[in-house]
Parts: sequence; C-alpha cells; structure tokens
Amino acid sequence: MKTVSSTICAALFAACFALVAPVAAQDSAQTTEPEGFWLTTSYPEFTIEPGEKETVSLTLRNANLPPQRASLEVIGVPEGWDWALKGGGNAVTAAIVPPDSTERVTLELTPPEDAAVGSEHNIEIQARIERQTLTLPLTLRLAASDEATAAGLTLEPELPALSGTARSTFSFKIKVTNEGEEDGVFNLAAEVPRGFRTRFKKGFGSEEITGVPIAAGATETVTMEVVPSPATQAGRYPIGFEVAGNGESGTTELSLDVTGEPEVRIVGPQERLSGNAVAGKTEEFLFTLVNTGSAPAADIELAATPPSGWSVEFEPENVTELAPNSTDEVSVRITPSENAIAGDYMVAIRATGEPVSENVQFRVTVSTSTWWGVVGLGVIAVAAIILVLAVMRYGRR
Amino acid sequence: MQREGSPFTGLSTVAFKEAADHMTGARMHLIMLLVLLTAIGSVYGAIDRIRDVVSEDAFLFLKLFTVAREPLPSFASFLGFLLPLVAIALGFDAINGEYNRRTMSRLLAQPIFRDAVLFGKFLGGLLVIGIALLTLWLLTTGLGIIFLGLPPSGGDIVRGLCWLVATLAYAGVWLALAIAFSTVIRSPATSALAALSVWLVFSMFWSMISPLVAGMVAPIDPLDPVTVLNQFEWQQAIARISPQTLYGEITGLLLDPSARSTGPLFGFQLQGAVIGAPLPTMQSLVLVWPQISGLIAATLFMFTTAYVVFQRQEVRA
Repeated sequence: MKTVSSTICAALFAACFALVAPVAAQDSAQTTEPEGFWLTTSYPEFTIEPGEKETVSLTLRNANLPPQRASLEVIGVPEGWDWALKGGGNAVTAAIVPPDSTERVTLELTPPEDAAVGSEHNIEIQARIERQTLTLPLTLRLAASDEATAAGLTLEPELPALSGTARSTFSFKIKVTNEGEEDGVFNLAAEVPRGFRTRFKKGFGSEEITGVPIAAGATETVTMEVVPSPATQAGRYPIGFEVAGNGESGTTELSLDVTGEPEVRIVGPQERLSGNAVAGKTEEFLFTLVNTGSAPAADIELAATPPSGWSVEFEPENVTELAPNSTDEVSVRITPSENAIAGDYMVAIRATGEPVSENVQFRVTVSTSTWWGVVGLGVIAVAAIILVLAVMRYGRR
Repeated sequence: MQREGSPFTGLSTVAFKEAADHMTGARMHLIMLLVLLTAIGSVYGAIDRIRDVVSEDAFLFLKLFTVAREPLPSFASFLGFLLPLVAIALGFDAINGEYNRRTMSRLLAQPIFRDAVLFGKFLGGLLVIGIALLTLWLLTTGLGIIFLGLPPSGGDIVRGLCWLVATLAYAGVWLALAIAFSTVIRSPATSALAALSVWLVFSMFWSMISPLVAGMVAPIDPLDPVTVLNQFEWQQAIARISPQTLYGEITGLLLDPSARSTGPLFGFQLQGAVIGAPLPTMQSLVLVWPQISGLIAATLFMFTTAYVVFQRQEVRA
C-alpha cells in the first residue's frame, strides 16, 4: 500500500451554499467557517501501481447543517478494477453526518496486474444529499512500481565501529530518517552475539525505548547501547540494527571491537586472606595469582606494604606472563617484627603489571613467643623446689 | 633425722575442718556479706550502664566485671581491693590464734605432722576463698543473664574462668602473707595490723611510691627522650612488686580481649595493627602469664617462709 505523492491540494467546495443566512445565535468565532456540506479528499490526483491496492481517504464534512444523509456512488472505475467503499471496516453506500462533524470513508482501488502503465483514469465520486449532488473527481495515473518507490527509511550511523573492553558500554548513535509520506512508529531491533545486551534510547534521553515515532520526512537520532557479556573474548563482533514499521524497514551493519583485558586476582592460602605468624619467626603463605580476564597479563611485579620492622619476601618476585584463565603460585614469606605485639596486623599485598593492578589486605594474627611463659613456669618451679627443700629440711617427726 | 610416713597425712582432715570452721564463723559471714553487697551493687550498676551504652559486643559478659558506674567501682577493681581483706581476715590468726586459745598442743597431739597443720590451714582458707569466688562469679553471671537476657558466649566463660583462677592466686598471696605474719608474730592483733598495713601500702600508697622511687633511680634528662622511657620502665618494674598491680594487669588483659600489651607501646608496633580486634584467649593468657606466675611464686615464697618459721618454733608453750 503506497501513499501517492501528487501534491496538489484542492479543496473542492460543494456547488451550492444553500442556506446562506447566518444564524444569529452563533458565535463570531465560528462565523469564519462556512455553512454547508462537502465531500473532499487530500490528494485528488495521484499515481497508482498495477496490482497494488491503493487506499484513498474521503472526507464528508457537515458544517452547521442538520444531520445529512449522503448516498455515495463511484462512477467511472475502469473495467476489471477491484474497488470498494469502506467505512468503519465495512463496505458502505451511504453515510449520515451529524452537524459540525466529519465522517471518513475510504475508497480501495486495485488495478489489475496487466493494466496499462501510463494511462490516466478519471473517477468520480458522487454524494447525494437531500436536494443536491456533490461530485468529487479523482484523476489517477498508472505508474510502474519503480517510479513510485521513492519512500523508505534511511539509517545513518554516526560511528559505525566502536572499540572498547569487555566491560565497557558501547553507544552507537544512528540517525533514522523517515522518507515515507506517513508518520509512524518504528520498532527497533538489534542482532547481537549471544550474551550481549542492548538498550535503545532516543537521542540523549535516558528512557529505554522499543520503538520511536518519526514524522514523515523527519529524522530522529536513536542511541543503541550494547553491553558485551563480561566474559567476551577479544575480537570483532558484528551488530545488526534494524528499524521497521509502516511496512518499511531499514538495516545497518555496525561492528564492535572488543579488546582483551587482563584481570588478575590475588587469592590467599586456602582462599582465605588471613593467617597466623609468630613474632620474629618467618611464616610461609602460598598465594595464587589468577588471571580471570581475556588477555594475558605480563610482567606482574609483587610487592607488599607491611608494618614497620616486618619483612615480606616473594618467591618469585616477578611473574613474566600470566595467560587468561591460568594461575600461578607465589610463595609469600612474612616475618613479623620481633617487637610485634600479639594480635591482628594488616599486610597489603599488591600485584602490579601490564596493565593490571590488584591489591589485597592480608590479615596476620601474630602470636608472641611462649618464651616468657617458660620463664614463668621456671619461677614457679624454683619456688616449689624451695618449698619442697624446706619440707625436707625442716620436716619433723 | 629421717621421718617416717608422709608429712601430708591428715592434711585433708585439717583443711576441711579449717574450711568448715571458716564457713560457720561469724567473721567470715560478716566479711562475705560486705563483699556480696558490694558485688551485687557494682554488677547492678554495670548492667545498667551496659544497657545504656553498649550496643553490641562479642564479650558482653566480661564487660559486667569491668564496666563501672559512679560512684561504685567496677566488680573487678573492687575485688582487687576487697579480696586481700577477706584473705587477711581468714589468715591473720591462723597460728597464733591456736597458741592463744592454747589448742596448739592439743592439735599436735593428733597423729599428724606439723606440716599438715600449716598446709591444711592454708588450703582450707584457699578453699573457702575459692568457693566464695565461684559463687560470686556465678551470681554475677546469673544476674547478667537475667538482666541482659543473653547467655554468655564460650569465650566469655573461658576468659572468666581463667580470670577466676588468677584471682584465686592473687588471694593466695594475701592468705600466705597473713599466715606468715600469724606465725612470726605472737599476738593476733599485731599480726592483723601488720598484714593490713602491708595491704594498705600496696593498694593505696604503692602507686605514689613507685614513681617517686623511679624518679630517684632513673632521673629524666630533658634532652634525652630515652630516659623518659627508662624511667617509665623502672616505674613499672617497681609497681609490679605490688600484687595489686599484677592483678590489675591480669584483669585488664583477660577481661578486655582487645587489650594487647601491659607494657609501653610504640608507634611502630601499632603500625598496621588492627585496633580493637579481639586477641585469642591463649594469647591473652600468654601475655599475662608472667604476672600470674609471679603471683603463684610469691604465694609459694611467702608460704615457705611461714613454713620454715613454724617448723622451727617451740610449740609446747
């Protein structure tokens, strides 16, 4: 169904203005509208394609007259053409128009497939009311289908290819122009790889939309945001964007370039970030470096920020390369200071490299040496021995 | 001069008889009434305060013993003050009282050694104090359960019991001291006064004496900050002669899991430390073990003195 683009807009006035006397009670504002009954259409001359159904919208207007019954008749439809007058979905032959209102009737015309291209036909629509007959002549020209399809949707992406990491959100701005003759609401759809999510927004708005209304000949900017799944491997991914509606549709091809990104995590011994150590004694903890990202991490250097007087050594101190989804064990030797008091201390452990930086806090529970406990026991033992000696020496019979 | 048989024959008889005498004696009743009233008062004050101030604490029941509300002292500090009095009341006439009542020869006419008399008197007194302490502890914990509406946690109970044992060792020092005075001094009144004056000196005046002595031993040079530390360490060392100080440190560490040291702390030791994190109970015990062993050793030393003096005494007076 195509809307024809001939642009002459001729308002056909009915032949007579039967009752001319203005009604006294009427407002001055309404006096500008003439009294009478009209049969009009927007485009009385248009082109039509063979085999295509064409819908012509007819308007019956009653201005300031009592309700009018109009019998409708179509004259001059060439032989072999299908036609129907429809109102409210049914075939009609008459319409009653209440005062000050409009009724719409559509004329559906379907020329046969073999109708001669280029020929002109005149059709007349007659509406008979009480005493008069209104006629509306239509001129239609048969045209080949190519000629008539100037309409459509054009999509113009501002930036057709974007690049970023698997964690970024990609925003494509696409200008959608409705080149058709009708306003319409157009649905938006995207074709993305599995696991990707898309959102549509209008222009710079924040509301998520599924469709966008575009007036005839107007352009709207649609923003499509694509969020790749976090586990996306590096690579180039095609994105299809489709706008459809009003029987039109347009697609455009976009592409996403996901660059890989290493992500290194530091996992403590037995997945815990705490451990025990004795003041002044070296304790070894087995840490694991895990690359959960999508690109290899290189040159990871391990360092720690221990409390003063502590020493932290790494074995190895440097991890040259860590492929994605691989792990590497690092032994961390922590020696609390001799003067450390019993209780919990925080040791920050860092892994920095190309281009990652990870930082964990390792909680070390320091116990002090039991040396003083032994000394205390010794003191008690000495006191007890003195008592025993006293009992042995001074025990009497 | 090898004797026959164990010196401890009849020890339990003497100890239990002594304990029974204390338990039924008016002196013990009076002093325990005093302790009980103060204990209930201070715990009640503590509960009130805990309900007002503390919102959530892993060691709520330990707070019962350490939180104070004016004008009452906390349960722990008041035990540290009054417990020596109880021990002195139980021990000041242990030996000279027997002489005065002329019952010593009758006592030693039994088939027991002299050792058993002294050991029994000490253990009997300690048993009575132990029973009293356990009762007090159960009483306060029960009050806590009723008024706070919470059961004590396992950590609370373990720490509380360790503290109870340390308190018993502290009472033992004073009991041994009182018995030693009662052996050395013939008049019960004099021995009581002697023991009480030692108690007064250690609990009241020692905190004034120790800085004074430390100032004389290690004067502060204003240009040398090390001397400040030096004097502080001297002061602490002198203060620790008093059982009161030792007991205070034990209480502080056992009843406050977040306390980490009894001595001076330096900034570099605290760098990176997690302040307020509770210490494992074992670590708290390790920290105060020198204090506890000091108390036990002092008890043994005092008792040995009393023993030696008693064994050499003429009993047929």
